[in-house]
Amino acid sequence: MNLEHDLRRALRRESPAPGFANRVLERIERAPERNLMVQQPPRPVWWRAAAASATFALLLGGLATYKLVEYRRGVEAKEKVLAAMQIAGEKVRLAQQEVREIGSQH
Amino acid sequence: MTAIVPDVIEFPTALVRSKAGDHEAFAELVEQHENMVYSLAYHFFGDRSRAEEVAQDVFLQLYRSLGSIESDAHLLFWLRQVTTRRCIDQVRRNRLKAVSLEDASELRARDRSEDPLLDRRLKRLISELPETQRAVVTLRYQEDLDPSEICRIVGLPVNTVKSHLHRALQALRRKLENTP
Amino acid sequence: MRKFLFVFLLTLLTAMPAAAQKINLDFPELAERAEEEVEITLDASMLRMAGKFFSGHDADERAVRDMINGLSGIYVRSYQFGSDWEYDRNLFKRVKAQLGATWKPFVNVRSKTKDNVVIMADMRGDKITGLVIIASEPREFTIVNIDGPIDIERLSSLEGEFGIPHITKERDRD
Repeated sequence: MNLEHDLRRALRRESPAPGFANRVLERIERAPERNLMVQQPPRPVWWRAAAASATFALLLGGLATYKLVEYRRGVEAKEKVLAAMQIAGEKVRLAQQEVREIGSQH
Repeated sequence: MTAIVPDVIEFPTALVRSKAGDHEAFAELVEQHENMVYSLAYHFFGDRSRAEEVAQDVFLQLYRSLGSIESDAHLLFWLRQVTTRRCIDQVRRNRLKAVSLEDASELRARDRSEDPLLDRRLKRLISELPETQRAVVTLRYQEDLDPSEICRIVGLPVNTVKSHLHRALQALRRKLENTP
Repeated sequence: MRKFLFVFLLTLLTAMPAAAQKINLDFPELAERAEEEVEITLDASMLRMAGKFFSGHDADERAVRDMINGLSGIYVRSYQFGSDWEYDRNLFKRVKAQLGATWKPFVNVRSKTKDNVVIMADMRGDKITGLVIIASEPREFTIVNIDGPIDIERLSSLEGEFGIPHITKERDRD
């Protein structure tokens, strides 16, 4: 057994589902943080309005970040629920199996 | 008067163009590196949907961090490092077994289900390794990196990386020999 | 006979919201010895959050969402060991000892050499308001605590859904 050779084969790179780059771009397009990259030149006459816009954009960015964090937490919670239900279901079926076996012996 | 014309006109790389705000160039960057990033996550979690999610997160983070990327070599290092550390962090945060429900039969490692395909067995065994060993093995054999390169990515001393690699290979050999 | 009794008991299950007691599932000595560990802690707020991420258009996801609706918590501790019976086989008694008078044994399968499964249900009248499943297998010890009304039959029918393969163990024949 040549383990290193087998590992190189088993771990060869694989592709994500088609359209991956598009999906990444779609997420970028959706993210309001994009707007933070646009810089307005300083204009002393309008400095209050510019400061308010920047603050609002930062707040939006913060809100977007918060929503992203909440989204991820929700997805993780869903995964945990599925894992817990899978384990619980398996142990209940194990009990059913044991009872069936005992019943078949009598 | 003589005009000096270069033999080769260098077109700015996708990285350079991406940093200038070219979204199509950024898409090129993604396409160039998506297999590497996705595979690191997939071999870590054994879960395609999770790998896709992590890979998307990494490229989203790349988009935000383009200004700090200095070269193509730096980009490659950055992607490997961020992907690996995200995977390790997720496992440590969640303390969930990093095996998807699609592969839930592999949770029952001592199940007597047969798996004739060595590749699949290896992937399963790798996904059962402790997270740092998992990362080291994946970087070593997927990316063909040596320990001195791996240690920069995972942020550990090179001897520690060698030790993790050695123990991981020992564990894999033992499990392959013991698993029917 | 036992099979009939088991099925009969399953059909009695209906849901009624009620609070079940908090049970300590943490056994540090197990975590120290275990090769692998699965720990899932989901309180009511996390379950509510998770419920929002299940698709209402997909029948299977809707079934899970409905199942967790009204639950106060789901707690799982599962430990896998490198060799047989590396843990105290009487550990299930320490879990059972925490359960109050309203808890009744639902299933109690005991074997000296093989898998043991205990399912305890918190009964308020004929309604189940909590469930504890304790599975002692040669190389795995698992506790599941579901706090709130749960339909065991629906739970056991989840196999094969969401891409979850049929993983019921093949019984070893002596």
